[in-house]
Amino acid sequence: MLEKNITLESPSLVSLTCEFTPSGNVTLVNVTWTRGTELMLRSPHAVFADNTVHAQYQFSIINSKQMGSYSCLLEGKQEQRGTFNFKVPELSGKNKPFITYVGDTAVLVCKCPKCLPVRWAWYRSNGSEQVPIDALMNDTYVISGTHSNKTKLKIKNLREEDGGAYWCRAEFQLGQSTDQLDLVVLSFLVPLKPFFAIIAEVIVLMSIILLCEVYTKKKKKHPDDGKEFEQIEQLKSDDSNGVENNAPRQRKK
Amino acid sequence: MAGRAEPPDGGWGWMVVLSAFFQSALVFGVLRSFGVFFVEFVSAFEEQAARVSWIASIGIAVQQFGSPIGSVLSTNFGPRPVVMTGGILAALGMLLASFATSLTHLYLSIGLLSGSGWALTFTPTLACLSRYFSRRRSLAMGLALTGVGLSSFAFAPLFQWLLDHFAWRGALLLVSALSCHLVACGALLRPLSLTEDTAVGGPRAQLTSLLHHGPFLRYTVALTLINTGYFIPYVHLVAHLQDLGWDPLPAAFLLSVAAISDLIGRVASGWLGDAVPGPVARLLMLWTTLTGVSLALFPVAQAPTALVVLAVAYGFTSGALTPVAFSVLPELVGTARIYCGLGLVQMIESIGGLLGAPLSAPTSRPQELVIEVLDTKVSLHKEEGLEEE
Repeated sequence: MLEKNITLESPSLVSLTCEFTPSGNVTLVNVTWTRGTELMLRSPHAVFADNTVHAQYQFSIINSKQMGSYSCLLEGKQEQRGTFNFKVPELSGKNKPFITYVGDTAVLVCKCPKCLPVRWAWYRSNGSEQVPIDALMNDTYVISGTHSNKTKLKIKNLREEDGGAYWCRAEFQLGQSTDQLDLVVLSFLVPLKPFFAIIAEVIVLMSIILLCEVYTKKKKKHPDDGKEFEQIEQLKSDDSNGVENNAPRQRKK
Repeated sequence: MAGRAEPPDGGWGWMVVLSAFFQSALVFGVLRSFGVFFVEFVSAFEEQAARVSWIASIGIAVQQFGSPIGSVLSTNFGPRPVVMTGGILAALGMLLASFATSLTHLYLSIGLLSGSGWALTFTPTLACLSRYFSRRRSLAMGLALTGVGLSSFAFAPLFQWLLDHFAWRGALLLVSALSCHLVACGALLRPLSLTEDTAVGGPRAQLTSLLHHGPFLRYTVALTLINTGYFIPYVHLVAHLQDLGWDPLPAAFLLSVAAISDLIGRVASGWLGDAVPGPVARLLMLWTTLTGVSLALFPVAQAPTALVVLAVAYGFTSGALTPVAFSVLPELVGTARIYCGLGLVQMIESIGGLLGAPLSAPTSRPQELVIEVLDTKVSLHKEEGLEEE
């Protein structure tokens, strides 16, 4: 079964063509065009000399009622079908949550790279419902680009309650598509806890290092007899290796 | 403490290797993985990517230009207090950056402040390391510098995770806490006095003597030239691959392969530098030539296997030349002058780094063809796809 997806955003004149190879030796076949379950057209077609059937269906798509799945169907012992799916452009759908802090400004962006919606609209969640955002009524919201291929919702002075799901809806003449964006508003205490934990760890490390050094220095100083012994040893070795020590240090190879 | 005649070549030196490892991770690993933040900055401040990338450029430039200051201070006070101060500055810069309200704010806090912090940490640490080792210097350098490669692997996904959970402000706050580990690393740098130190004098005397030292100057010019081209391939490799038709994910994967090979090259070259007798400078020449050859073959290679082989080769050879480049310097100027020497080298070679980027600006990409949809005609053939015209 053959299927194809077509993206359409504005009213168009459409011509669909199906080419079949019927099984068996027939001269006349019936081809049916359907939209979903609804029958649109049924007509007989002649089979050409090279055993192909050429069926065409022309119509216009004006509003969302004419969008959907159109199929061409060859009746016979072996049913052959091809399907064309007409859809409005879908939005990007990258769903990484947007992290912000209390008091910051968040800018939520929705874009459609290859389409131009008639209108954009923003909604936010209220429990399980979608509530439209009206920028004119509420001045913490600023919506820009309602009629271009990119729209931005700017929310100023974020509070923790502003977190949650937001939707942008692209409206076309032939339908609409939505995209969901998640906004997370954190308080500044959230990163401060790991920050202080790491600083504490660094201080502990430094104390260990410096204490170890003080400890090893004390060990070197305490055996006084040992120190004198060391000095005598050093003098002896200096005497015998005097020449070598005075020469410039050379790299041993 | 009486001055030692010979560097210890071990003992506490390995702790210094550990400290240098974490420091290269926290300085260059952070710088290399900062690209992850740039995407967020572009949308948060509504600025172009080119302007945002200046943050890293300023940071690198300040780190390299400020190296002599780090060197002079280390010669006077020893590496430990200098590196610890540097760590505090670097962390402070990130902390202030988390409160940023504009891009200029980030230029100053990350670029200038953290950059100065990094200038005070990286150079003194490597110089201190080269004073602790002589026979196994290259190996110690190689091991320490693997911190850069490994951290690039770890930090890029870590930073992305931080961004996904805390947004860029919280993430910068936590990177600041992470940078505090530089202070702990600095605490590991126990001062070492060698008998040569008294002979060479204070920092000003050292700097003057270095600037009159012929081999040192020639070496600096050589490193500057290497530095001009060094960073370019990593910057442009992915774009080049995509121009050849590669998908983003395999292209990024190839970059990771080159990075792994870079890591192996560093350690292998470090070990080799110590194992092979004779001047290390010959090895530097070998690796630089091989790097150049592999780079020159890149525009010619078309087949995927050839590109993979070249990426591995380039990664290995460019990684291999790093520890050797650092090892040559102490042989050239002596461990007493190493702090000042390294600082001067970093400052001068940064000119190469700054020039390299604009000189290699990519050519414009071909315009994509735009197909207009006027009317929709659809036909279904047995095997072909749909034609929309």
